[in-house]
Amino acid sequence: MAKYTIKRLLQSFVTVLIVVTIVFLLLRLLPTDYYFTEDQLMKFTDQQKHDALEAAGLLDSPGKQLIRFYGQLLHFDFGQSRRIQNGVAVTKVIGSKFAVSMRLGMISLGIALVVGVTMGIIQARFKDKIPDHIGTAYTIFVNAVPGLVSYSLVLIFGSRVLGLPSMYSTRRVAESSILPIVCLAMTSIAFYALWTRRYMVDEINKDYIKLARVKGMSTKSIMVKHVLRNAFVPLAQYLPASLLLTISGSLLVEKFFSVPGMGPLLTDAIGRYDTNVVQTLVILYASLGIIGVFLGDVLMMLIDPRIKLVDDGGTR
Amino acid sequence: MEEKKQKNYDELFSFAEYSPEEAERSGYSDYSYWKAVFQSFLKKKTAVALSVIFLGLVIFSFVALAIGKYDYSSLIADTKLAFIQPNGEYWFGTDNLGRDYWCQVWFAAQTSIKLALIVALGECALGVTIGCIWGYVRSLDRFFTELYNLINNVPMIIYMTLIALLIGQSFLIMAISLIAFNWLTMARNVRNLVMMYRDREYNLASRCLGTSVGRILVKNIFPYLISVIILRLALSIPGTITLESTLSYLGLGLGIDTPSLGVLLRNARSYFLDYPYLLIFPAVIVSVITVTFYLIGNAFSDAADPRNHV
Repeated sequence: MAKYTIKRLLQSFVTVLIVVTIVFLLLRLLPTDYYFTEDQLMKFTDQQKHDALEAAGLLDSPGKQLIRFYGQLLHFDFGQSRRIQNGVAVTKVIGSKFAVSMRLGMISLGIALVVGVTMGIIQARFKDKIPDHIGTAYTIFVNAVPGLVSYSLVLIFGSRVLGLPSMYSTRRVAESSILPIVCLAMTSIAFYALWTRRYMVDEINKDYIKLARVKGMSTKSIMVKHVLRNAFVPLAQYLPASLLLTISGSLLVEKFFSVPGMGPLLTDAIGRYDTNVVQTLVILYASLGIIGVFLGDVLMMLIDPRIKLVDDGGTR
Repeated sequence: MEEKKQKNYDELFSFAEYSPEEAERSGYSDYSYWKAVFQSFLKKKTAVALSVIFLGLVIFSFVALAIGKYDYSSLIADTKLAFIQPNGEYWFGTDNLGRDYWCQVWFAAQTSIKLALIVALGECALGVTIGCIWGYVRSLDRFFTELYNLINNVPMIIYMTLIALLIGQSFLIMAISLIAFNWLTMARNVRNLVMMYRDREYNLASRCLGTSVGRILVKNIFPYLISVIILRLALSIPGTITLESTLSYLGLGLGIDTPSLGVLLRNARSYFLDYPYLLIFPAVIVSVITVTFYLIGNAFSDAADPRNHV
């Protein structure tokens, strides 16, 4: 297991490195004017600009810059933000934002798990009856209708009928978090309901469940002890990744409700050419994603002892 | 000697002409794949009804633009006429700049449908071609897998932002860049399927009989892929509309002068709490398009699966 873990982490490390290298090189494509704040652009002469760029080492060849960048990474030095918060360390910029995204994300994920899985169970239990049709209609609606439209509907309902604030505000955190959380949870509920139902229905048709029925076990205990446990295994794969990626926030929801979180930070950083922030975010997201998938595999193995990540030379 | 050999050959083998009676005897059926697909699709009442609704909507979008009292290209901003509720003159009311909303909404619907269709077809052509090569030619597997990982592991939003900043924003750029990312999923699906069927016994037999690679791909493997391709194609349409609206909302999609449903919803964001009609009209139309396509796609892909044909 240890050998497998190390091998896998090394592979992931290479992937992250390649990804960040591509992003690094892509970012060098943009014109150098983007490096300055509007204020600096107005005041600086061409000579000053040139000096500033040279001092920051931005006029070196991309290869040279890349090697220096790798060197910094070895010291866990992610550099400073240039335009989002001039001169502030990138880790600080991110540190001030991720807590907001994570809190919203965690709460909505918790809600989605409870509601979504319950919904899936009910749908599987009453397959082809009214509860199932209602659930299917909900999943189709959420999957097919653009997020922008469904969020707008939530916003209108929430602020007109229930009188909730339509924008996130730091003064009324609890109240103004409700609508973003609902929007975030809405999508995840559909995801968990859809797949719980799918896997449970597949499981119910298997022979061992029929045997359990023949033996006279109650439907309830079959559902909970056998069907749900087996159906949850493939879902467990996604859990750690979605838990970790709550940090990254949701771009659309956070932009829609003006949440000062991580979601819009990436596009902001690219748009304002804050290269250090972009690079750090890319490293962060890529690593989180990869670690998440790995933890998902481990979790799956813990829930279902039949699954083995390491080939122990048994069958085939 | 040669002549004799040739003569023998002619005597031993001769072409069999098609005759219905002979065919009957050896169990030939006039099974046609597409006929069976449409027959089983037409049996599904809801799916047919939804297709009619979708086609009706597309046709109506042209009619609507023709019968509207204002022409999209000659709209003039006039703030005195802003926020007029829907009435006999302005059927969907006016927006914040006093422009007729009816023609904007239908124009936007057309733009979104057009973009979605182009992207879906482009993605399908590119994805299926590359997927087949990827799955069938073993020596290229490694190359395409690495390419897939490279493109797929960088957040798409980075590419889209860079494209918007470096190249610009227009319908064509949007369509090309969406195709350039979407083929990945299609190609991967196709590749997995091709790999599954490539070495089945019937293909082995076919290869032994000297069937060309192209024929094996088109005649032996392709029918198994169709249902998956159609499903992806149909799901890609709501997907593209959603993605377009998200990107446009973030300012990375189509330019402001090309109205799409995303651009309309972005413009409406600041006002629709007070003027809900600005949201409701585009929202209803976009939802009808995406939901119908989602359901049609599912129904059609069931019908297209040869295993469901008896």
